[in-house]
Amino acid sequence: MVGRFVENLELYGRLSDDDRAAVDALPMTVRRFDAGEDIASEGDAPTQCRLLLSGLAFRHKTLSDGRRQIMTFHVPGEVCDVAGLLLSMDHGVCALTRAEVGFIGHSTMDTLLEKHPRVMRALWRCEMVEAAIAREWMVGMGRRTAYTRIAHLFCEMYARLKAMGLANDNRCRFPVSQTHLSDALGLSVVHTNRVLQQLRADGLLTFKSGELTVHDWPGLKAAGEFDAGYLHLRTPTT
Amino acid sequence: MDLILQPVLVDTGEEGAGCLVFANGWLVAVLVRLSDTHEDEAGFWFLEKGFGKLDTPDPPLFSDLPTAEQWIKERLMIRRPPRWPGDPG
Repeated sequence: MVGRFVENLELYGRLSDDDRAAVDALPMTVRRFDAGEDIASEGDAPTQCRLLLSGLAFRHKTLSDGRRQIMTFHVPGEVCDVAGLLLSMDHGVCALTRAEVGFIGHSTMDTLLEKHPRVMRALWRCEMVEAAIAREWMVGMGRRTAYTRIAHLFCEMYARLKAMGLANDNRCRFPVSQTHLSDALGLSVVHTNRVLQQLRADGLLTFKSGELTVHDWPGLKAAGEFDAGYLHLRTPTT
Repeated sequence: MDLILQPVLVDTGEEGAGCLVFANGWLVAVLVRLSDTHEDEAGFWFLEKGFGKLDTPDPPLFSDLPTAEQWIKERLMIRRPPRWPGDPG
C-alpha cells in the first residue's frame, strides 16, 4: 500500500510491470500527522524515507525568532525527504493538513533503487524537478511582482495536483492560509490579501476555505507568467 | 524625538487613507489604514514602507496611530554607528 507513489514516479519516467510491483510491495510503517506538525525536522539524520500518502506538506526553514520561509509544497505520492538518503536534513518538512506518511527504511529503498534503475531514474528526475521548482520560486521572489508570484503559485499547484488526479472541473483543494502563502512567497499577509482580492476581481480565480477554483486558466497563466515546462510532466496541464 | 504625520492618499488598491511619517524632517515611514477587506485587521495601520531603521521584511500592523508612533520612536532610538556626516542615525 504505497498510495500514489507509483503514479507520482510515472509522471517522471516509464516503469515496467516489474518496477510497479516492486514499488507496490515496499514495506512501510504508517504514521498520521496533524496539520502543523513536523514530519521531519532540521538537523535530523533520517534512516527512513517519508512518503506522503495523503494530505499536503511543505518544506520550510524557520529562523530563531519564528519567522519562516516555505520552500515548496508536497502533494500525495511524493517522498518528502529524498535528500535524506544521502544527507542530513538542512530544513524541516511540516504537514499542511492532516497527513498520512509511510516510513520506508533506507536500506529497503536502496535495494529497490539498485534493482530497479528505472525507479531510481524517476526518483532522481522528480528530485531534479524539485530543484527546478526552487529556481522558479527564486526568480519569482527576486524579480516578479506580488501579483505575478501568487498567480504563478496557484498555476503551479493546480498543474501538480491535476497531474496527480487531484484537481477536477477547474477546482482543487489547496488548504493554505494567507500566512502560508506569505511565507512561501516572501510577502506580508496584507499584500497577499490585497493580491487575492485583485485576482478575484480580475475574474481569474476564487480561493475560499482552502479550495482553489480557476475561472480563467489562460488568463491566470498569463498573469503568473506560467509555463509548465519547468515541471517536466509527461502529461502537462496546458 | 518629534514625529510629524502628514495625511496622504496611497494607491494600494484600497481606500487609500494613509500618512507620511517624518522624524526630524526625514521621511521614515508610510502608514496605510487597512480597509474592510482585511476583516479582523480592518482599521489597523500597516507599515506600507519603512526607510532606514524601519525597513523590515516583516512590516508590522498597529491597532491605532499612537501605537504605530510608539513603535517607530523605539526603532529610531536604536543607535547605530553614523555612516556619513549628518547621518540621522
